[in-house]
Amino acid sequence: MYIISNAIKNLFRNKGRNILIAAVTLAIIISAVVTLTINNASSVIIDEARLDIASRVDISIDLFTHGRDGRQTITVEQYVSFADSAYLRHTVFQAEMQAWFGNFFAVGDFEMGLTPPPDPNMPHSPVGKLTGHSEPSHISGFGTYRHFVEGRMFESINEAIITEELANLNSLQLGDIIHIESAFQHGKHFELEIVGIFSHEVDEVEAFQSIVWEMMGFSLPSMISQNEIFTSFETLMSVGWETADGLDMRLEYYLRNPNDLVRFEAEVRAKGLPDVFGVTINQAALDRVTGPLEGMRSAAMTFTIVILILGAIVLVLVSYLAIRERKYEVGVLRAMGMERGKIACGIFSEAIMITALCLIIGLGAGSAIAQPMADRLLAGEVETQAEAVMGAEEGGRVLMSGGQVQTDDPASGYRPISDIEVAIGMDVIIQIIFIALALAAVSSVIGIIRITQYEPLKILRERA
Amino acid sequence: MSTLALQNVTYKYEGSSKNIFKDVNMDFEKGKVYTIVGKSGAGKSTLLNLLAGLDTATEGSVTYENENLAEMNRNRYRAKNAGIIFQGLNLLTNATAIDNIVLSMNISGVSERNKKAKTYSLLEKVGISKEKATRKILKLSGGEQQRVAIARALAHDPELIVADEPTGNLDKQTEDSILKIFSSLAHDEGKCVIIVTHSKKVTNIADEMWGLDKGVFRQMTKDKK
Repeated sequence: MYIISNAIKNLFRNKGRNILIAAVTLAIIISAVVTLTINNASSVIIDEARLDIASRVDISIDLFTHGRDGRQTITVEQYVSFADSAYLRHTVFQAEMQAWFGNFFAVGDFEMGLTPPPDPNMPHSPVGKLTGHSEPSHISGFGTYRHFVEGRMFESINEAIITEELANLNSLQLGDIIHIESAFQHGKHFELEIVGIFSHEVDEVEAFQSIVWEMMGFSLPSMISQNEIFTSFETLMSVGWETADGLDMRLEYYLRNPNDLVRFEAEVRAKGLPDVFGVTINQAALDRVTGPLEGMRSAAMTFTIVILILGAIVLVLVSYLAIRERKYEVGVLRAMGMERGKIACGIFSEAIMITALCLIIGLGAGSAIAQPMADRLLAGEVETQAEAVMGAEEGGRVLMSGGQVQTDDPASGYRPISDIEVAIGMDVIIQIIFIALALAAVSSVIGIIRITQYEPLKILRERA
Repeated sequence: MSTLALQNVTYKYEGSSKNIFKDVNMDFEKGKVYTIVGKSGAGKSTLLNLLAGLDTATEGSVTYENENLAEMNRNRYRAKNAGIIFQGLNLLTNATAIDNIVLSMNISGVSERNKKAKTYSLLEKVGISKEKATRKILKLSGGEQQRVAIARALAHDPELIVADEPTGNLDKQTEDSILKIFSSLAHDEGKCVIIVTHSKKVTNIADEMWGLDKGVFRQMTKDKK
């Protein structure tokens, strides 16, 4: 007990020296608190983003490697069977059918629409798309460029929603029944009740590209977004599909754990997925969303490491000098009969007390600094990334079949995380306590080892 | 019966071939004051360091209560059995007088409940007031520091008191009172007091006086000094 009380007194007896050690320790602790807080908050957000983006698996042909070969080698049932996996927490079912409209005109198709094909067994020219969704909330654009004009979202089987243009062109109203057929598979037809009519705003890029397509003579109704009709996946599958001809299956498989990708791929391969199909996550989107955070985290960690190393060196030097100063004191204590271990314990206690004080101040100051520091760092990273991707987003936009504007940038539509809320959690506090203990050890152990190897008489003779 | 004994003790500094003293045999008994005199550099303080358990003999043995100091826990010996008054005082200069003494008691494991009260009493005995007791050592005069060092050596009530020039910085009046204390410690309390000194006044209280010259110890009579 007297060792502790003497250590407390020593803190005040050697104010100058201890203030210097405390200043270095405090700087290290504040830096560590700030960077660890930022790092941990970033990690949580990155993990969430990873769970959100990197857990979504797409199964599609790698067009760059294989072209469109092998498109027929996977059945609709296989797509659906892949969803039956323990690795998945959720699957969003979505498919697009190249459609021929039986009893109404498609926008931009006044001649062909109702004209029966010469041979009903031959494929029709598609005039639109019928898209089936298992989750209407996943239909893109609702709330941004798509808005309900009247009615509601489909809920039951054989319900559909159509665009305002399509409804106006054909004087279609809620409750009307529309007849739609597969353009590629004869006999696959649907009688759908209109339950909602929505507007579809065409942005400048889409409008411009439509003009270009028209001028080039490629203006087909099926490429016009107003001809897209939405229904449930259940409805789309209700006719029974032996092959995927004329169907574009777009199932989104969500892994429970993004790290299970390889295991999930092995499972679907075992279920017959051909090699031409890739099982991939949208890494580009993940990189775009988390890029600035990763950058900030990396900068913070580098800063932490540098601070810890430099701080430790400074602390060792300061402590070494302090211990040289204390050599006489140790000599006196040893001459009075104090054991080496007790002297070491006293020196370590002093280091612990200084560190504990710095820990309390550092946690408070660090938590106050962490948020503005994180905001500033992240803003810088976001700005840097924004400049890097500006060209990629705009330059890569193309008009796809169905009229949707898409881009060849897989990260299109994803925005980097630009806000972060940092707060000190228990994990940071525990990490900081360990760092603080390490600092206390660094600032005392070297000195203790050095000082206790002397015999008291040797120290006192040097003094004399 | 001797409490502390030197048996054929030879000492030379590490790396040196020259003996500081050779084959010394001395016995120190409780209840007596011993003084050791000799020229500066003769080896008096070295001898005291051996007796205080701060150093070990090159040859021979120093025994305390028949136990070889070289083989026993000398920290414990210094903390409990010996009270040492260094020539250089060796006080904790940035601590107060009272802290120096209380710390010494703590190291020695003194079980006294009110250590501060005992400390004030000790300091008063050596002529240090309560007010000065709370001053840092550096703010005390040389004589006052010396008295604090004496009080510290007595704080744990040791059986053996080893002092190196304990009255060197003291005025006549204080010197007299300190010598009375040493004399009383030996003659009234039965302790063994060993003092290295140049002072004739100190030798006056000695029961035995030893001289060290050219590495040889000789018992001296007071008449011969």
